[in-house]
Amino acid sequence: MPLFGKQDVQAAAARAPLMNGFGTEVWELKNAEILQLSFEVVEGPAEWLVPPALHPSIPPYATLSVARFPTSPVGPFALAQVRLVVRAGIRPRGYLLGAYTNSEQAAAELRARWGFTVDLGTLTIDPRHDRVIGQVVRGGQTILEMELENPEQISGSDVTYLDSLHLARIMENGKETLVIVQVDPEYVFHNAERGKPRLLSLQADAWGGDGRLRCTNPMTATFCHGDTDLPKLRFGMDPSAPAVQGSRRLAA
Amino acid sequence: MKFGIFYELSVPRPWDREAERKVYMNALEQVRLADELGFDQVWAVEHHFLEEYSHCSAPELFLTACAMQTKNIHVGHGIVICVPEFNHPIRIAERAAVLDILSGGRLEFGTGRSATWTELGGFRVNPDDTKKSWDEFVHCIPKMWMQERFSYEGKYFSMPSRAVLPKPYQKPHPPMWVAVTSPGTELDAADRGIGSLGVSFTTFAEQEAKVKEYRRRIQNCNPVGGFVNNQVNTVNFLFCHEESETGTKIGMRMIQHFNYLAAQLDMAKEAYPTKSYPSAGLLPSLRRQASSPGELGKAPEGIAVGNPAHLIQELKKWEACGADRVSFMLNAAEIIPQEQLLNSLRLFAKEVMPAFAESQPARVAAGGGR
Repeated sequence: MPLFGKQDVQAAAARAPLMNGFGTEVWELKNAEILQLSFEVVEGPAEWLVPPALHPSIPPYATLSVARFPTSPVGPFALAQVRLVVRAGIRPRGYLLGAYTNSEQAAAELRARWGFTVDLGTLTIDPRHDRVIGQVVRGGQTILEMELENPEQISGSDVTYLDSLHLARIMENGKETLVIVQVDPEYVFHNAERGKPRLLSLQADAWGGDGRLRCTNPMTATFCHGDTDLPKLRFGMDPSAPAVQGSRRLAA
Repeated sequence: MKFGIFYELSVPRPWDREAERKVYMNALEQVRLADELGFDQVWAVEHHFLEEYSHCSAPELFLTACAMQTKNIHVGHGIVICVPEFNHPIRIAERAAVLDILSGGRLEFGTGRSATWTELGGFRVNPDDTKKSWDEFVHCIPKMWMQERFSYEGKYFSMPSRAVLPKPYQKPHPPMWVAVTSPGTELDAADRGIGSLGVSFTTFAEQEAKVKEYRRRIQNCNPVGGFVNNQVNTVNFLFCHEESETGTKIGMRMIQHFNYLAAQLDMAKEAYPTKSYPSAGLLPSLRRQASSPGELGKAPEGIAVGNPAHLIQELKKWEACGADRVSFMLNAAEIIPQEQLLNSLRLFAKEVMPAFAESQPARVAAGGGR
């Protein structure tokens, strides 16, 4: 049997948001810009960032992203995420370690509707001809700075962004319980570029990595323009039981 | 129709001292029995770093052991990775020729390029390049075998004039194949006059369409080797039991376990966007289908698990789709105890194989192999 994660989910729950139920409507996010870099990570420490419901992928890797959404029900906002790629049973997923947004209103909605562990920060994407730079600053300190170098045009249909899993708290039957919710946006890319990923700085503690997220081998970087969404929640999981046993359908 | 067996050599954790040896020794016992029972080929993959899923990184050694312990069964590279960071083409040609000599001309030479980031990233390969290097290798290797001396200036390797030795026992050389996983690779096979070695699971309808197009295109191929290997090999699972329910239950457990292990690997198309490894769903809306984390995945169509009558029925469908050969995966992570597995092989040979004894012969062009 593949290795399971060793995360102490009760300890991780201290950072997890309290959701407002599973019945959110869809948010359409047109004309989005998404910069995403991926890096392999050191295996041993990463196992402690993955809940027992999930398997680390072979090899484990992280995706770091900064996105801008010019239109949404709460107006424009940006969102940065650090995710660890895992397997929920046989499905590849990105398990959210931490996120930042520049909009207080968006932060509240993202927490309550989709279980994002998200804080406020200053986010920038700086597309240039020779590189695309992404940066996240919190309290005057840079906690993520990364670049896609030498962008080249590729087909948007070749780009795969994995669905996400979010650890969250929810009131069920009068009791607060922990749940992992699956957030599986659709993407239609009108333009996509690929380049070499370069990580200038990552303050792992600021992303819930507990110092355990150590990026190593660079994999790839993409910068995509297109339409996406934040969808209805379809599946939830018990963080402590293997995903094939502890999954349940939340909505059609 | 001919039948073969196919090895990934998956080793479940914990990896104690005996775990890997046991898997290899069990496989060799299965191969000896398969040879006695009249199976036609044994194939072994080349994989690296694929924890539990496949510990078969030196197939030339495993296949040599197979050849030395058997009389008739063909030994197949399914496949050799034709990417310079993994294997230099001269070494591929040399090793394959030695295996062909030692086996007395029983080598089937499968080629490919790896489909996982786990492997490509491990050897620091640029995924954009693998199809190109594969193409260069499959054009050069048969010439290394057929020409006394060979020289070459290419993009992925170059060499001055040298005699690549030894030469294979089969003349002009062993049958060549390519592993077909990505869409369109069966057309690459046809255009180069080499066999289509299906190593991923497909539906009857897909298979029929692919075979039809392969047969059409290979008529006008520009063969890379000394002959055209017009053959289609498809892969399947095998568990045969007198009782339908028992056969299906045990076989399905193996399939689910295999799929589960396979899903843990980072596929190239997931990790690195490139047209060299196209995404499965070109239409983004399709990505939402069947994506519950609670699902184990459905069994592919036409799987050879169950009782003999059921197996005959399913394999006849593959035959009708145009497959010349079917190669079977026999186990995954030792889920099926060895004695049960050997009995499954015996029952298959006794009850199923005779139903295919009158099948049409393989379509190898004159002068090819063997």
